[in-house]
Amino acid sequence: MRFFILCLLLVLNLSASVYQKNCLSCHNKLPIKIDKFFYRYLLKYSSAIETKYAMKLYLQNPKKENSILNPALLNRFGVKKKTTLSEKDLKKAIDEYWDKYKIFGKLK
Amino acid sequence: MSVLKNWDINLRQSEKKTLLSFFILYLFFTTLLLLFMAIFYYNTQKDLMLKDKRVGLSKYANDEIKRLKYLHVNFDRVPRIYPRDKRFKSAIYDSVYTKIFSLLDSSDVDLNEDIYLKDGSIYYIKELESYYLGTKYVVIEVKDDGIWLKRVYKNLAIYGGGILAVLLLMGYFLLYLLLRPMREAIELLDRFIKDTTHELNTPVSTILSNIELSSKEQIDEKLQKRLNRIKIGARTISNLYQDLVFLTLSQKIESKKQNEDIAELLQERLEYFSLSIESKKITLKSKLSKGISLHVDKKKLTKLIDNLISNAIKYNKINGTIDVVLAEKYFYIKDSGRGIEKDKLDLIFKRYERADRSVGGFGIGLSIVSKIAQEEGLRVEIDSVFKKYTTVKVSW
Repeated sequence: MRFFILCLLLVLNLSASVYQKNCLSCHNKLPIKIDKFFYRYLLKYSSAIETKYAMKLYLQNPKKENSILNPALLNRFGVKKKTTLSEKDLKKAIDEYWDKYKIFGKLK
Repeated sequence: MSVLKNWDINLRQSEKKTLLSFFILYLFFTTLLLLFMAIFYYNTQKDLMLKDKRVGLSKYANDEIKRLKYLHVNFDRVPRIYPRDKRFKSAIYDSVYTKIFSLLDSSDVDLNEDIYLKDGSIYYIKELESYYLGTKYVVIEVKDDGIWLKRVYKNLAIYGGGILAVLLLMGYFLLYLLLRPMREAIELLDRFIKDTTHELNTPVSTILSNIELSSKEQIDEKLQKRLNRIKIGARTISNLYQDLVFLTLSQKIESKKQNEDIAELLQERLEYFSLSIESKKITLKSKLSKGISLHVDKKKLTKLIDNLISNAIKYNKINGTIDVVLAEKYFYIKDSGRGIEKDKLDLIFKRYERADRSVGGFGIGLSIVSKIAQEEGLRVEIDSVFKKYTTVKVSW
């Protein structure tokens, strides 16, 4: 039985996306949900192309200057570590993040 | 062009065309000028209207932005319903002009404009500083009530019409001033021709009647020949007098149409010119079918025939021939003269145009023929081979 559960967890882990494994896994532990970051990006960059580019730039080279967090939150949580994801995986993760929270097609 | 209509000698066709061209050109530029003024006035009034509307539309846009802000902040907590307003329709676009959501009637919006009018709707575009829901441009659409446009059309009709009338009146007086020297010259020429024509009549009639009287007396052959030459000369002057009378007074002479025997008339005119025919030793061959009559003005048809016979004699060679044939639907006069070059055939009906300048004349004969034919419903055709013959066919 224990073996069966371990196998199931392994299969589930293998089928999880880059975004789920590498982004959600950490962000879910934070007090601020991941969608709040999305709306802050949207507020500053508007279009898909500019938002995705800003996210990629920050994740590859995180600095206080290019963070969308306000100074109080930055002081509290600090700047995240540089991503270890490859260019391709990072793009996949950002695309999934955009598709999940984008406004297009959600308004009635 | 009433300035021209009372002259006995009317302006030539080309001069009339020039004046007409001037008038059309003047009318064209006047209309063009008014059109530019109208467009300028329309655009100014439209801009003023948009300026008036701008304040209200800006307020609508701010109201919409407030609602977008609320929706952005509470996107995961409230129903995701786009904020609507009864007073206007709106749409939101991102920074690369991609439509996020739209309630507009038109899908084609110019986001580079600030405010504009299109298809009866006014569009106001406001750029956001913070992109709520990713919105960089909020577009507000309201229907144009069209009151300003009605006012513009009314003013254009009143003032535009007034200006056009004034400009046309000015054009008329300008034309009148331009024509004055030409009119004076033509009046002078008109008076001169009338006076000359009048003065010609009495002496020519005297010469002709005296020759007729002298011919009846017993005179020797030599003197008779001289008298005949004088008679031909006097008749030539008489014909010229008749032509000038026709040209100067033709519009004042009332047409008297009646059935005329054409064979009889042709025979009569050939006899009238018999002396001239004899003097050039021309052989006359006539074949005139009997019983053909036409409902025409005798004087005018006589003038037409006289001109054709006179030309056939004038342009014929010594010992030449003249054929006169009358059939059911036509008659023709053929000479064995110099003929007319092909490139000159189209011009010979114009007044003062002469295909051959080697003999005397004013070049008015065929112009009269053409004019009479037109008035009497006849058709004139010319067939000619240079240096061989000329046939003038008159059909009906």
